[in-house]
Parts: sequence; C-alpha cells; structure tokens
Amino acid sequence: MTVAVTIAAMALGAAVGLPVALLRMSRIRIVSALAGLYIDIWRSTPLLVQLIWVFYALPILVRHSMTPLLAGVVTMAFHVSAYLAEIYRAGILSIAQGQRQAGLSLGMTPFQVMRRVVLPQAVTRMLPPIGSQFISLFKDSALVSLITLQELMWQAQSLAAFTMRPLEILTAAAVIYMILTLPQAVLVNYLHRRYLAH
Amino acid sequence: MGGPPRYTWRFDVVLENLPHLLSGVSLTCALTALCMLLGLVVGLVAAICRLSRWRLVRGIAFAYTEAFRTTPLLVQVVWVFYVLPILTGVTLTAFFSGLVALGFNVGAFMAEIYRAGILSVNPGQTAAGLALGMTPGQVLRRIILPQAVTRVIPPMATTWVALFKDTAILSAIGVVELMFRAREIATDTYRPLEIFSVVALIYFLLTYPQSLGVNYLYRRFRTQE
Repeated sequence: MTVAVTIAAMALGAAVGLPVALLRMSRIRIVSALAGLYIDIWRSTPLLVQLIWVFYALPILVRHSMTPLLAGVVTMAFHVSAYLAEIYRAGILSIAQGQRQAGLSLGMTPFQVMRRVVLPQAVTRMLPPIGSQFISLFKDSALVSLITLQELMWQAQSLAAFTMRPLEILTAAAVIYMILTLPQAVLVNYLHRRYLAH
Repeated sequence: MGGPPRYTWRFDVVLENLPHLLSGVSLTCALTALCMLLGLVVGLVAAICRLSRWRLVRGIAFAYTEAFRTTPLLVQVVWVFYVLPILTGVTLTAFFSGLVALGFNVGAFMAEIYRAGILSVNPGQTAAGLALGMTPGQVLRRIILPQAVTRVIPPMATTWVALFKDTAILSAIGVVELMFRAREIATDTYRPLEIFSVVALIYFLLTYPQSLGVNYLYRRFRTQE
C-alpha cells in the first residue's frame, strides 16, 4: 500500500506539476502569480495539515465524504506537484538563453525549440532532483496513516497495539522502510553523479 | 430553495479558541528552535566523526545518519516515544520524546550539510596551507571553515523551514503544539472546516516569510570561487 500510494501520487503530481510550471513561466503576470501562489501554498504548509484539511474539512465544503485512500493520494499528489513544478521550471531555465535564440534564428518554431533543444537537455538535469523528491514522498507517505489509510505505518501501529509488542513491530517497520529507501537513495546518488557532475 | 441548507461559517468559534491556538503557535516555535539547536550540535559531532581516521567511529556516524535519513520522521517519532522507554527503562514525556526524535532527525541532515560544506572547499587549499607550515587544525580553522560556513548557511536555513513544518508531526504523540491544539478544538467544537482552514493559514503566514528569507540567503551567499 505504501509503495502503491507513493507511485500513484507521484504520477498524478508529475502530471499536475507540468502545467503549473508552464503557467508559472507565463508572460501574463496574473497567470504566473496565481501559479506562484499555488506553489507557495503547498510548499509553506505542513503535509500533515494538508492531509487533515482535505480529509476532515474539505468534505464539509463540497458536501461529499472522501475515503482515506482518495484523500491521501490526492493530497500527496498536489503537495508533490508544487515541488515538481519548481524542479521543472529550474530545469527549463537552466538551459542557456543563447541556445533558445540560436534555435529561433535557425528558423525553428518556439515549440520546436522547446521540444528539440531545451527539453532533451532539461530532462537529464531534472532527473536527480525528481528522484530525491520521490524518496521524500515515499517517507512522507507514512503520514497518511494518521488519516487511517492502512499502509505500512498504520499496520505497524495497529499490530503493535494488538500484540503489545511495540519494540519488535515498530523496529521491524523502521527496518522495512530503511530497506525500501536505501536502494532508492543509491539510485538517486547515481543519477546525481551521472547527470549533474560538473 | 432545494438541496441541503447552505453551510454557515462560524469564525467566532475560531476567535473564541484563539488563545489556545496561539499557545500552540508558541510551542511550535519553541520546539523548532530547540530541535534546531540539538540538531546543530548532534550534526556537528556526527560530521566530525564521519571524517574521522578510525573506521569504527566513521561507521557508527554513517549508520546514524543513514538510519535517520532513510526512515520516515513519523516512524522515528513513534519509535522514540513507544519503543525507547522499553529499551532504556526511562519514560520520557511526549515533549522530550518529540524533541529527541526531531533533534536527531535534523542532526542527521545537518551532518551531511556540514560534511558537504567542508568537502566543497578545494583540497588544493588544504595542501597549500600545509605546505606553508600551518598545522591541520590551523588549516581547518583559518582556511576551510570560513569558506565552508557561507556554503552551509543556505541549506541550513532550508532545513530550518522544513523542521518548522515537521513539528506538526509531533501532534501524533500528543505534543500540544499548533496542530494538536487544532485537532483538539476541532473535535470539541465540531467545526473542523473553520479551525483547520485557519490553522493552515497560520502555518502559511509563519512559513512563507521564512522561505523568502531562505531565498535571500541563497542569493547572498552564492558561491564565489
């Protein structure tokens, strides 16, 4: 459940983050300001507050109750989308302006410049921070146990209470998280060395 | 008019409970400061141990930083609160458990920041200092640290902001900070929408200026080689 929730939220967040990043770079002031506000709201409040708000407060507003799974995945996705939008934006802006101008002066359309010149280079620069973001999200997914979504941490806490063996169960849960996170960390380190070695 | 009745906002409920929320805010701020202080000290010790000549010392420091960086903070907080007392026989209050868990969590991240800062200074400068007859201690104090400090400050500030938000997790073990107060009041008054919205706004208003400060520090201390 922990793995599935993280992957689902990441996929959704990656899709939402892209238009946000593009809107953030818009020439129209109000559009870029609104996208900036979206990013800042999600980045300036704790994920736990967001989860609780979506699970307990939002249903009152929309008059529709939510399952813990839906609330958890949606909140994590929007949360991570704000961070991903900034990663996309930094990646795109990191490509030297001269290359854009060179492409345009060769007669490419702005869209062609974006697809053929900027994005292929930007993507490799985005990969390492996206990997780090995935690891953070994976660890943060433990928080959805607090809105009773039955992932690893929730199972561990209920088992610990049921068996009265918190020492063994909670330690095992910590070790499982460690075993799952370590290979991801090794991979992200590799990405950093491979794509960000200057 | 058909359909269910319109929702009536009751912000007076929030106003009535404002003193409780504000006491939560002050504990959130105090926790952030104390955890950061603990993290700075623990992190420095761990960073120095990781650069040690003895393999065992290096190994222990490495195990510490990796254990805290590869597990969720919530797991650490719950572990320190429920498991550590069984192991040590010493019962800590929720406040101290939270302080220890979060402080050591920050310490692990700080250790990596210190280490990266020290290693980022060109090794040629160490060689040059030694060649000029300085002792290793002098090289560290006069050449490396002054340069490392400016590189360490911006990521340190980022850690501070993350820590400020992470203190909300301590509500899970009953530390009466802002988030715990919010859940308490929301349950007592049956007004989760108003309470949680206001609390989210409070977190935003407190965190956003800090993020601006961090951005400033990044611009101010951009690495000059």
